[in-house]
Amino acid sequence: MIELKDIEKYYASKGVKSYILRHVSTTIKQGEFVSIMGPSGAGKSTLLNILGMLEEPTYGSYSFMGEDVTTLNERKRIELYRNHIGFVFQAYHLIDEMTVEENIEAPLLYKKVPGAERRSRVADILDRFNMVAKKDLFPNQLSGGQQQLVGIARALVAQPSIILADEPTGNLQSAQALQIMELFKKLNEEEGITIIQVTHSEVNAAYGSRILHLLDGVIKEDVNL
Amino acid sequence: MFKLNLKIALRNLWKHKGYTFINLTGLAIGMASCILIFLFIRFQFSFDEDHKNEDRIYRVVTHWKYNAFDDVSSGVPVPFAAAARNEIAGFEKVGSIFKRGGIIHVNDQNGKTTIKTQQAIYYTDPDFFEVFSDIKWKYGKPQQALSAPNTVVLSEGFAIRFFGNTERAIGKNITLGINTNLEVTGVIQDMPQNSSFPLGIIVSYQTFYGRNNSNWDSVNSSSSCYVLLKEGVNLDDVQVQLDQFNSKYYPIQKVAGNQNNQLQALRDIHFSTAYDNFGESTIGKSEVYGLAIIGLFLMLTACINFINLSTAQSVNRSKEVGVRKVMGSKRKQLIVQFLTETFALSLIALLVACVIAEMVIPSMQNLFNGQIEFSLFSHPIILLFMAILVVIVAFLAGFYPALIVSGFSPALAIKNKISLNGKGLSIRKVLVVFQFSITVVLIIGTLVIVRQMEFVQKKSLGFNPNAVAMVSILGDSTSVTKFNTFREQVLPVSGIESISFCQSPPLSDDVNATDFTYNGIKNKDFELRTVRADENYFKVFDLKLIAGKIFMKSDTANGCVVNETFLKKINVSNPQDAIGKMLDASGNFMPITGVVKDYNDKSLKEGISGVAIFPGKNQYWNTAIKIDAKKIMPAMKEVERIWNRTFPNGIYQANFVNDEINSYYEGERITGVLFKVFAGVIIFISFIGLFGLISFVATQRTREVAIRKVLGASTIELVKMLNGSFLIMVFIANLIAWPLAYLFVKKWLAGFAYQMELTAWPFVLAMCISMLITLLTVSIRSYKAAVANTIDALKYE
Repeated sequence: MIELKDIEKYYASKGVKSYILRHVSTTIKQGEFVSIMGPSGAGKSTLLNILGMLEEPTYGSYSFMGEDVTTLNERKRIELYRNHIGFVFQAYHLIDEMTVEENIEAPLLYKKVPGAERRSRVADILDRFNMVAKKDLFPNQLSGGQQQLVGIARALVAQPSIILADEPTGNLQSAQALQIMELFKKLNEEEGITIIQVTHSEVNAAYGSRILHLLDGVIKEDVNL
Repeated sequence: MFKLNLKIALRNLWKHKGYTFINLTGLAIGMASCILIFLFIRFQFSFDEDHKNEDRIYRVVTHWKYNAFDDVSSGVPVPFAAAARNEIAGFEKVGSIFKRGGIIHVNDQNGKTTIKTQQAIYYTDPDFFEVFSDIKWKYGKPQQALSAPNTVVLSEGFAIRFFGNTERAIGKNITLGINTNLEVTGVIQDMPQNSSFPLGIIVSYQTFYGRNNSNWDSVNSSSSCYVLLKEGVNLDDVQVQLDQFNSKYYPIQKVAGNQNNQLQALRDIHFSTAYDNFGESTIGKSEVYGLAIIGLFLMLTACINFINLSTAQSVNRSKEVGVRKVMGSKRKQLIVQFLTETFALSLIALLVACVIAEMVIPSMQNLFNGQIEFSLFSHPIILLFMAILVVIVAFLAGFYPALIVSGFSPALAIKNKISLNGKGLSIRKVLVVFQFSITVVLIIGTLVIVRQMEFVQKKSLGFNPNAVAMVSILGDSTSVTKFNTFREQVLPVSGIESISFCQSPPLSDDVNATDFTYNGIKNKDFELRTVRADENYFKVFDLKLIAGKIFMKSDTANGCVVNETFLKKINVSNPQDAIGKMLDASGNFMPITGVVKDYNDKSLKEGISGVAIFPGKNQYWNTAIKIDAKKIMPAMKEVERIWNRTFPNGIYQANFVNDEINSYYEGERITGVLFKVFAGVIIFISFIGLFGLISFVATQRTREVAIRKVLGASTIELVKMLNGSFLIMVFIANLIAWPLAYLFVKKWLAGFAYQMELTAWPFVLAMCISMLITLLTVSIRSYKAAVANTIDALKYE
């Protein structure tokens, strides 16, 4: 599903190149649950952003579902992105001015899903996440764990084939973190959604099927659990 | 403290160069416009100022009340002055003055003419200078200089022009017309430009040929009378005396139209557009106030920009505010600091504004045909105005932002966690809507004015004014005998098609109107406009007859042609019925020989009057010459040569009928130019303000934009989202502006008897223009926000 070949990323400042990623090559198949680990500054988030098409690599090729992302134009890339990728952030990144329901609905609007289907899918997901009672609340009226659930619900409502999560439990207490990881595992096993997460926690990584260890922009280890 | 504040202020302005530039440009342009408008208004209000006893000086005017209309004149009957001197006790001095044009010859010792010039001549009695006792006399005294016939007093300017210097002028002679010799007996100061009586050549009233006219029924607007009330006399008491005077000299049955004389305050003369004055420079007060309002709005718009931008920018300053508060600064001190900043900026803006104003002044003088000289430093009140402007702008623009910024909670501010959503934005939204309403009103106004002027220019006038030159001719008895010679010499010139002796072109504001008797019945409802012209007039101007024929060639009134409106007004429906009927008007008793199709005899601001055209050789003062359009230049040169040969005593003057017609819309032309300029300025100010505001909104919503992008929004969708609220605001502004603009243009158009059809298109076009420019301005910034790096905005802090 994902194929990275010789991905490089660096920022040039005053003629000095500071590398974030060097010669990253790997393949991730449909249905895998991958954790990217490594110390701060290793390039984990950058790698995730490149996978999520939010950043472009300086060199190298990235093919997503057989299409070379680096050569696609914006319209096609957005198309690909809208239909297949869901993002979950450490800081949730919900839109403060919108209610829970509206936040979840937003990606469907951009996907141009018709109104009736939109409503049924939002209702469906609210039901699944036990949040029907909270649908009219604003993000700042929810706890961190609940906010992250909304974040995940928002990522799932567009029915992506892959979820990219950047330290999804980083801001949460351990009990809530556990709940989120269980949810990921369930989604991965029952619905076959590919999950790639960046994490610091060995515990969280243990939920996955594969761990990529990153150090100074290079893949040091690739472990299948 | 102040010094430190100022230093920090300047550093901050320098740090945010972009915003400072926007603020500075907006404020400077707004201020420059304000200063220019103020210069103009001050000049208008300075007319006839600083005269000693100015609150006791009045002009006497004449009013009429007919059945169908009222009329006024700035003149009085000639016998008025003498009678009033004796009978109205409240008048201390009564000064008569009469203005007419004349040709002045200045000869050197050998009797050779050195200067020949056409000038305004003022016949004045010595008492006039006792009313205006502060007009300075360089040589001579009014009582001696102007008591005898054939004496003249020159202004300094004319004395120098005629004789080299003022001293040498005294005792010298100049010739008025052909043979009136005048001795120079005095020299007075030059009258200032802002005077309603620009005296230059003052001839003693004893020289005036009409001084002994005893007809109370004849009023010429050039025959004015100024009076000085006795000190301590109540105006109401004088009014009572004047009313008695009126009823004595104007018995209702004898004098037509219930004629009476009234007083008009000296300082009102300049603003009384219904009356003439010698300076020919009246302006309506409503126009002056209109301009002041536009200036106020311009300044408000610039201030609104400033408020919006600085509140928007204040988020960037929150950390500073937090730190300062932690260090123990009071809110008041912070307000003072931010106001210092605004004040510094306003001061810089004022300097820039002065530079801009100085640069624009020449084109402004040009707009008013150089009649007005403006200078930034001509009067202390202008400097005072500038000082007040800076203070007001600094407070108006700076206070609200200072209040907001200084109110930040220090704990949040220090962490840069201030957001300005909600209430702050809605105030800004209201301000933006207000700003754009003004902008849209001005756009609509401009469109309508431009369109109406086009309409006026294109409207068929009912006669053909193209390629017709009006060449003035002399009316003295010698010159009159040469008319035929002139005509016979001009006609064969190549390119000359036809020629007619007349008074004025068919459309002219040079009106002679009289009461009349038609078919033996005396009319009291309206006055008949009389036009003297020979039989060729109809051919030169392509006037169409709908009944009867043109009067026979004659030197005197042997018959007349009337227009359709005249027949309509006297209820004659069939033009044929009027043919042969007798008309008695201004001393002529003649049959109606024809009826001419209606043409516009006055500017399109007025309707068509009842007109009678008849010959009268002794009262022609123009020749209308129709020329082949391709040969105008050479033909006119030849006409000038023939003219100078035929009338050696005169001064050749020619102008084209089309130019003359356009000159009637001079005021409207100036209004149009002003509107274009101010609409441009206000559009510019509003849109840089809009740009500033969208910058703010884009910054505020960076995170939201980034999230939406992650959720799959495309660039276009994001740009649309950011633009949406602005387009709605401008749309609302349009809705508010429409009724206001409608009222305004309706009122302006009411000044024209012939109006263009007021359709929806100027309104729709103004909306399209404002929306389009909004879209462009906003899109530049929102596009930048939409394509900005998503990751940067979402980084976890």
